[in-house]
Amino acid sequence: MKASEIKKLLISSLNANTDTTDISGRLEESGISFDFKKGFSEKVMNKVFSVGITVNKEVEFVKSMTFAFNRIALTGVAAIVILLLSIFLMEGTISFNSFIGLSNNYDESIVCLLTGN
Amino acid sequence: MIKESYNVPEETDLVTASLNGDKKAFGEIVTKYQKMVARTVKGMLGDSVFADDIGQEVFIKLYYSLSEFRGEAKLSTYIQKIAVNLTLNEIKRRKRFFSMFSQKGNNEMYEFEVADQDNEERKEASELVNKALQAMDPKFRIILTMRMLQGYSTKETAEMLDLPLGTVLSRLSRAQEQLRNILEKL
Repeated sequence: MKASEIKKLLISSLNANTDTTDISGRLEESGISFDFKKGFSEKVMNKVFSVGITVNKEVEFVKSMTFAFNRIALTGVAAIVILLLSIFLMEGTISFNSFIGLSNNYDESIVCLLTGN
Repeated sequence: MIKESYNVPEETDLVTASLNGDKKAFGEIVTKYQKMVARTVKGMLGDSVFADDIGQEVFIKLYYSLSEFRGEAKLSTYIQKIAVNLTLNEIKRRKRFFSMFSQKGNNEMYEFEVADQDNEERKEASELVNKALQAMDPKFRIILTMRMLQGYSTKETAEMLDLPLGTVLSRLSRAQEQLRNILEKL
């Protein structure tokens, strides 16, 4: 196709009523084609599925972290319950003083202890 | 007819298979639609070094948004919209970059590579179309790309670009005027 014909084709493609369905085909016949470079689809597949692996690794990491957190949290809660239970058994109450180990001391004895009088 | 598409059940099967991690199914989608995407991306960005990257991005984005594809529209339309959006974003990004770092237009970075270079006439034809496209205002260039390279009707172009039909009609006439001026100089 000559340059003048191509110019006409380009301009006519912008007429609202022109049927444009075969313009691209005619341009391709004239050597005007738009293609990606060789190996395009392979590159896409590599990128898509290597990104997928990274995402999977991230998901695995998050899962491991959640599992570890749950284990630690459960162990911690169990330790606190045992501690409270043992305090209750030894002191007979779970007051703040018994919790911090002051249940058997009077305030005066603490003052004596601290001041030496 | 250049608008590639599968029949709907086949398309749905491929999408479902891709969502289930079937590489072959997704590979088939890429192979089938890469030329359509190339026409939009390269028509808009020229045969630049970035066009292939944007093309790859289109399919990567498609893969991660396949779960949102409900099959109400054709897969080709869905892919085309991703391609249009990413290409327009790239043009905006370049515009910002060039306005920050250079007073020159960005047309200088396009390299024209012709598919079949053994024929001088074909080479000239390809350069003519590329130069005309790249010299156009992006908002007119996308209209020309949709009409000339993708073969969309005026109504389809409006739907693809999410523009009112009236706006597309007005842009068609302004684009034609601009194209005439450009082609006179080429």
